[in-house]
Amino acid sequence: MSFDLPYLIDQFPALVQGLLVTLQATAIAFVFSLIIGILGGACRVFRIPILNQAVITYVELIRNTPILGQLFMIFYGLPAVGFKLGLFESGVATLILWAGAYQVENVRAGLLTVAKGYHEAAFSLGLSRPLYFFLIAIPIAIRAALPSILNTSISMLKNSSYLQVIGVAELTFVAVDRVSSDFHTIEMFSAICVIYLVLVFSFSFLFSRLERRLNKPYTA
Amino acid sequence: MNLILANMPFILQGIEVTLWLSVVTIACSTVIAVVLGTLAVTRLTLTRLAIKGFVEVLRGIPLLVNIFFVFFVTPLLGISMSSFSAAAVSLSLWAGANGAEVVRGGLTVIPRHQWESAEALGFKSWEVFLLIIWPQALRSIIPPYIGNLTLLVQATSLGALVGVTEFFKVNQIIVERTTLMAGHSPAFIVYAWVLFFYFCICSCLSWAGRRVESKVHGREHLKSAA
Repeated sequence: MSFDLPYLIDQFPALVQGLLVTLQATAIAFVFSLIIGILGGACRVFRIPILNQAVITYVELIRNTPILGQLFMIFYGLPAVGFKLGLFESGVATLILWAGAYQVENVRAGLLTVAKGYHEAAFSLGLSRPLYFFLIAIPIAIRAALPSILNTSISMLKNSSYLQVIGVAELTFVAVDRVSSDFHTIEMFSAICVIYLVLVFSFSFLFSRLERRLNKPYTA
Repeated sequence: MNLILANMPFILQGIEVTLWLSVVTIACSTVIAVVLGTLAVTRLTLTRLAIKGFVEVLRGIPLLVNIFFVFFVTPLLGISMSSFSAAAVSLSLWAGANGAEVVRGGLTVIPRHQWESAEALGFKSWEVFLLIIWPQALRSIIPPYIGNLTLLVQATSLGALVGVTEFFKVNQIIVERTTLMAGHSPAFIVYAWVLFFYFCICSCLSWAGRRVESKVHGREHLKSAA
């Protein structure tokens, strides 16, 4: 057993290519899952009839089933009944649906921290319900929910490795693909472990800095 | 639906493997979680740092990569494992790391004075731990721990990727076989059934977790009222 470092340096561009796909999928899924989270959170907190129950069902369904099953459902199951999505789209759709369920809960928890006084103040100033929600409740709620929202996003970054299974050319896929042709197993898997760890740790670090900055107005 | 009923014996075999994988993993990861979580609150700085490193690394690496790593790399290091044991090892390590974090959290919420008063009453330090700290910590450990178990049961589906013929893999095989033989893909109905199966197990577990949690909180209410 030996560690072939020159090989890894040689393969570095391919890994970077895979990393970019991973980041792209994560970024797209982050935006859309947050939108789902905000809308779903609103349905839950305002107890909008029917939609409230629908969101509860959605959240429970996603949280109690493996993401691998969801991925296979979207990539293999839906085309069988005539609903076809592309490779990358299927993968990102799975990530969005998965993370969306967690973001709904995160945003809801954030919305519950918004004091009742804001609601009354907004209404006495004549703001409509949607205006109150988007201009007052959401900015406060997002701040409160930020740690959990960002945690979910980090999990999503890690879960993007599941896309390897259906063949999206993200980081894990590139590594497994190279391993099956070049047999530099230890080098490749060590490399992607390090890359994922660096990503996760640096995001965690950045996010904790961000949270500290956002918390300042409350404390100072 | 007929397809699933026709393949029931095969599916039951898969369920058995999934069950075994879950049970083995839950047992091993609980041992890891309790040992590491307990050591993480001791005064041994080096041990604490080592555990923190272990936990952070295992939580930082995607589980899929973790399983592939164990399955593909350990044979090269001279340890040959069946796909079942490879999946069990990596799931146990991962769940153990998650669990250790929960146990550590539960142990650190116990106020310092509990330690100090127990020591002042002449308890030996292992007695303090076993008789005074742990029973109290369990109340805050169990609900999130059960939550982690649902994630663990879901994660056993990853065994399919390294060739464990557990529930997920069995259904994958059914889809492939039927597609080849019948010419059309039954993927939708089969994967719907797969999701339904995991949903039943995991929502039962989450429900149990919530019940325990409300019981714990209920008692706390009584305490503060009294």
